[in-house]
Amino acid sequence: MKRKVFQYIILFLAPLLWAGGASAQDCDCFIQGIVQDDATKQPIFGAIVLIKELNKGVSTDAKGFYRISNICQGKYTVIGRIVGYEEKSYTISLEHGAEQNIKLSETEHHLANIDIKAQKIENLTQTKNTLQNATLDQTRGQSLGEALKQISGVTTLQSGSSIAKPVIHGMHSNRVLIMNNGVRQEGQQWGSEHAPEIDPFVAKKITVLKGASGVRFGSDAIAGVIMLEPDTLPDSTILKGEINSIYFTNGRQTVNSGIIEGGFNNSNAKKITKIPYSIGYRVQGTYKRGGDISTPQYRLANTGIEEINYSLSANYKRKNWISDMFFSQFNTKIAVFLGSHIGNVSDLIEAIRRGSPLAIYIPETFTYDIGRPYQDVHHNLLKIKNVIKNRNGVLSLTLGRQYDYRKEIDILRGDRNLIQLFKLTTYSSELIYEHKPILKLLTGSIGINSLYQENLTTGTITEPRSSTVLIPNFKNFTSGVFLIERIVRNNWEIESGFRYDIRHLNVYRIPRGGQNVVNNTQNNQNFSGTLGANYRPNAKWNFMANASSAWRAATVNELYSDGVHHGAASFERGNENLVPEVTLNLSFTANYVSKNFQAELHLYNNYINNFIFLSPTGRPALTIRGAFPEFLYTQTDSRFQGFDLNGIVQIIKHLSLNSKISYLKAQDLNNNQPLIQIPANRWENTLRYDWKKTSVSLTNLYVAKQNRIPKKIIFSDIPSSEIVFSEYGGDFAPPPAAYSLWSASASQQFAINTKQTLNISLTISNLFNTTYRDYLNRFRYFADEIGRNAAFRAKYSF
Amino acid sequence: MATKSNQIYIALLSLLISTTLFTVSCKDEEVDAEEENELITTVKLNFTSGGSTQSFKYSDPDGDGGKTPTIDAISLKPNTAYTLTVEVLDESKMPVGNITDEVKKESDEHLFVYTPTPSSLLTYSYGDKDTKNFGIGITGSAKTNVAGTGKLKVQLRHQPPINGKATKDGTPTPGSDDINIDFNVTVQ
Repeated sequence: MKRKVFQYIILFLAPLLWAGGASAQDCDCFIQGIVQDDATKQPIFGAIVLIKELNKGVSTDAKGFYRISNICQGKYTVIGRIVGYEEKSYTISLEHGAEQNIKLSETEHHLANIDIKAQKIENLTQTKNTLQNATLDQTRGQSLGEALKQISGVTTLQSGSSIAKPVIHGMHSNRVLIMNNGVRQEGQQWGSEHAPEIDPFVAKKITVLKGASGVRFGSDAIAGVIMLEPDTLPDSTILKGEINSIYFTNGRQTVNSGIIEGGFNNSNAKKITKIPYSIGYRVQGTYKRGGDISTPQYRLANTGIEEINYSLSANYKRKNWISDMFFSQFNTKIAVFLGSHIGNVSDLIEAIRRGSPLAIYIPETFTYDIGRPYQDVHHNLLKIKNVIKNRNGVLSLTLGRQYDYRKEIDILRGDRNLIQLFKLTTYSSELIYEHKPILKLLTGSIGINSLYQENLTTGTITEPRSSTVLIPNFKNFTSGVFLIERIVRNNWEIESGFRYDIRHLNVYRIPRGGQNVVNNTQNNQNFSGTLGANYRPNAKWNFMANASSAWRAATVNELYSDGVHHGAASFERGNENLVPEVTLNLSFTANYVSKNFQAELHLYNNYINNFIFLSPTGRPALTIRGAFPEFLYTQTDSRFQGFDLNGIVQIIKHLSLNSKISYLKAQDLNNNQPLIQIPANRWENTLRYDWKKTSVSLTNLYVAKQNRIPKKIIFSDIPSSEIVFSEYGGDFAPPPAAYSLWSASASQQFAINTKQTLNISLTISNLFNTTYRDYLNRFRYFADEIGRNAAFRAKYSF
Repeated sequence: MATKSNQIYIALLSLLISTTLFTVSCKDEEVDAEEENELITTVKLNFTSGGSTQSFKYSDPDGDGGKTPTIDAISLKPNTAYTLTVEVLDESKMPVGNITDEVKKESDEHLFVYTPTPSSLLTYSYGDKDTKNFGIGITGSAKTNVAGTGKLKVQLRHQPPINGKATKDGTPTPGSDDINIDFNVTVQ
């Protein structure tokens, strides 16, 4: 049987003692066992073990022991949970058939002995949502951004249909931290047309932590954290794998991905003197190729994609020691829609006026060829992690090296011209010590993170040769120390932590019109804190409240941009005097689970002081390519408030309805107007029919029109006589209309034998080929969104 | 049971291995000037009539942003036929980059467009043809009419082929602007 991925191991000691038969009304059964921490083997005091069907529960004693008695025969779901640990449920049968003649004496019982080994989770006072197993399988083949759209409160910022960046509660890019296999992803995340350089097939579990998480993850975790985690490596002698094949009709895209993993240990060794150890390894690879995609009305020229990724991982485990190594390489070539190539603002206005792209940009013939303009991106990650356990706790050291290479090739003259080239090398380290409970009350961890990076766009790091680059050369060093402690009681937890960070940035650039290299430095430091509580009054309710802060220093593009942003048709100017932005995030979550109804309400209020954003001045900036509207990086105090509501109702047996609502209001408090580029509110409903290994679903997504847009130019020192572009508050066109999309899906699982399974599914998105445009797609000015797309997925596990 | 010294030994060893792995890949890198992007800093219009040539320049030597560009005012005689040639240069480099040659080489995907306002100010006609018999606009003629003032917009439309299919059709519609500048013109 396929092992459940990424959950803690359950040791299920099958019923030890079946005391013969009983009468049909026998209610003398009981279940007992021990709840213990999987890592430390310590018994967990105060854990709740309950039988879901009966809503009957007990808590463990000081030795982690529990016992639930007077249960009738039947099939039950037993749940073990305690604040601070992942919850686990499993099914147990307390029934018998054959031996009804034997009379049960009072001392004989039906008994199941179950020991629960629970694994600690990092944070429980903040809301997190996870994609794994079936929900993750459903997104296979899509980009990371697209896959995460399943989670309420997460949307995407797109450049066409092949480049999607995740947006959490209206924030993206440098405000969303991505932890790829425990290492913070350092790519070119500052750019709105730079998608995360990650192959989602590496992950078996993707978790979105909503809200500021500055204490644990350091700067930039303003809106939330996306964590991608692979499966744990095997530690026994085994060889297994998985093959995923996906075909998308739109763009005729094929995606093939495979995993092979294995391991061995010396537990069979004859010599007892040998120290037990185990070795595990995994090889993973993905190849993706797609051609021009089509909107309902026309095909878009040059919208293909090609991607080749692979990863290798291995670990070595012995009693108190784990060494883990991971290497991944991501390579992609993404064609950028030709009709989006904008010379200047008059080209853009002309494109908007036309409504649909010129005939030459919407060819009849399909091609896989990737022509100019295109992006050529490579990302390498090497991670080495060592963990040592001893009586007092767990010490882990994670080292990472990343190399990010991005080439953006425009349609300039001659074959040698590139528009932009970025080479970013990052070294990161993290040392964490998790201590054992102090006074059986206080658990927590202390850690130190450091990161050093170098960006090279021209010449050598300290000697740039060109003044015309978008991002200058720089060296960046950040470091932080943190302490997080928590108190865990029967049904509540309090968590608190703080962190101190420093950042040192060294920029080497040639200012426009200058000849000599200028070296600018920026030094920042900041404290962050978190305080949260989780309260679980009974098996059905769970409440979380959290106040967290995070900070983010201005990035190099925000400080030193000075030039035309092609494609966006804007002239962007940085501001050297930007100070770090600091967020205070207040959130409250209520979670209700019962047999036929589940709901989660997440309320948030995110204050960001000195929120850094790009704001239009309304002035034209004159260049030899023509006039461009000017945008300046500036700061304001802002507030992001909203809620995510997610509910699942079991209407009748096999049939359920899942409803998700995301609502967000983002306000520029200093200028008393809405912020630009905030995702519109949405409501998604899925009707789902599950029967045995078959499931069929129908989904409707309604996205409202974004009516909250800025109306006025915020720079008061600009005389109104100079303001030319002010019609849509600095935007080029009003937000697109609301839209409603339908999609349908069917999936079937086949068990070939005990080890092999095959899952096949068909998903049709944009079922009715609806023509629409989305406010957060930068191509909404020129072209419609992708039309109907059927995806055939097959997953074979062995 | 693993001894403590054994553990420390392994810890040190793996630290050493990781350090080696990390530093091996760290060598001094460089981005060649040739890999950097093209820059147009200067557009020069040469009006020739009766053996004498007048040149007018739009010049922005530091590229977009920075210092504001300098734009010469064009002054022409009324009712005169001029030969008009255009030069596109990158003066941020030494030696000066000549982009006109590149445009000439790829004349099938470039089109200069000259638009006077008011349109009565002068009349432009193409003096050169690409392989498909569409104008290019590197050489042409400009004939002034009666005295007056106005503007002359000079555009270089870049109209590269799409999947091997030519897009240039002799009109300014396809492609995007590589140059889009306005000169003040006085005809007197």
